[in-house]
Amino acid sequence: MANRLPWWMGGILMSGLLLLTFSIYGADRTIGASTYVPYVASLIFDLDPEKYSYIKEIKSSGSWEGVMLLGVLFGGFITSVFITKSFRFSLIPTAWKMYKNDSVLSRLLWSFFAGFIMIIGARLAGGCTSGHFMSGMSQLAISAMIFGGVVMATLVLTGKFFYNTKGKK
Amino acid sequence: MADVIFIVNETNTTIVDRVFQMVENVIHMEHGSVALVFLIGVIFGGIIQYARVDKFEKIAGFSMLKDTIIPKMLFLTVGLTSIGLYFMIDAGQAHYHVKPIILQGLIIGGILFGVSMAILGKCPGTGPVSIAEGRIDVLIGAIGGLFGGLVFTLYYEDFFKPLMGESLGTTILTDFFKGSEDITALIFGVSVIIIAIAIPKRELLDEADLSQLPNSERADKK
Repeated sequence: MANRLPWWMGGILMSGLLLLTFSIYGADRTIGASTYVPYVASLIFDLDPEKYSYIKEIKSSGSWEGVMLLGVLFGGFITSVFITKSFRFSLIPTAWKMYKNDSVLSRLLWSFFAGFIMIIGARLAGGCTSGHFMSGMSQLAISAMIFGGVVMATLVLTGKFFYNTKGKK
Repeated sequence: MADVIFIVNETNTTIVDRVFQMVENVIHMEHGSVALVFLIGVIFGGIIQYARVDKFEKIAGFSMLKDTIIPKMLFLTVGLTSIGLYFMIDAGQAHYHVKPIILQGLIIGGILFGVSMAILGKCPGTGPVSIAEGRIDVLIGAIGGLFGGLVFTLYYEDFFKPLMGESLGTTILTDFFKGSEDITALIFGVSVIIIAIAIPKRELLDEADLSQLPNSERADKK
């Protein structure tokens, strides 16, 4: 298919990026993508780090990931406009219409709800797909393997009950 | 939890000041220059966007077992990185940054994460990429996420920290195979790569994907 990296190329490039980030010549740390959320929330709501121990705890990871997030937004935007030409405003994904419903309101409410519990879940576990699954499992971490197993199982179970796939290809 | 009053900074700063403070924090860290961290983000977002794994059809499609690009790419990434990283650490070119086994946190958090990933069709890494390409529903999800982060911060000491439980340490797989660490790491990496290749390739394509194919290759136009 045109304008798309095959999965194996995506995997090889992502692996190169992880190794660069891990290496002492790079950032000497993991790639993470969920600590920035409460950190950015603390910036937006102007929370006092002296009063909330969690903000103090995540100050360095949150800042690092916050700067990385700015890069992610920029990289995603540039790639979608100039390479894949997939930039467009949309409110509801095609597969949601096919397997869930046509209601924009339903999609937006479910998105808000899912976003809310996603960050609580990631912060309870101490990582997400990037921090646990990719960076953690690459270090052979048992914590990441437990998280990965639980996530894969609940993901597939939720998909089975949340979406209506009967009689559809 | 009824009275949500949170304590804000007493110094009058704007959001712009606080973002600059964030950048300054990175300058004072030993984890790469601001330019490098930003560049890591650009490449990360670029790979995800170019591989189109930020699409709803990829993660939600995997939850319905109709698309396997996500697990294939993830497992390949883990397999390759684990082998490279193991020998880099051995040679002193990198360090371990292993997250603790907080069993309750991992299980409860993993369940919440798995459920929400299936519904939103994104994770915190792919979500921003979708927002950057104009997906408004994901932006609403991110706003939900910011409130999730706020609630987590406000009730961390009283509720979430006790819920996570104690750390059982930062064990890694090779700790169970003392004396044969190298071969364990190698077997793990190779097995994960084999799994990535062995997972049958299935794709849930939408009109935007299909429109890039010639009619002769489209199953729905035959």
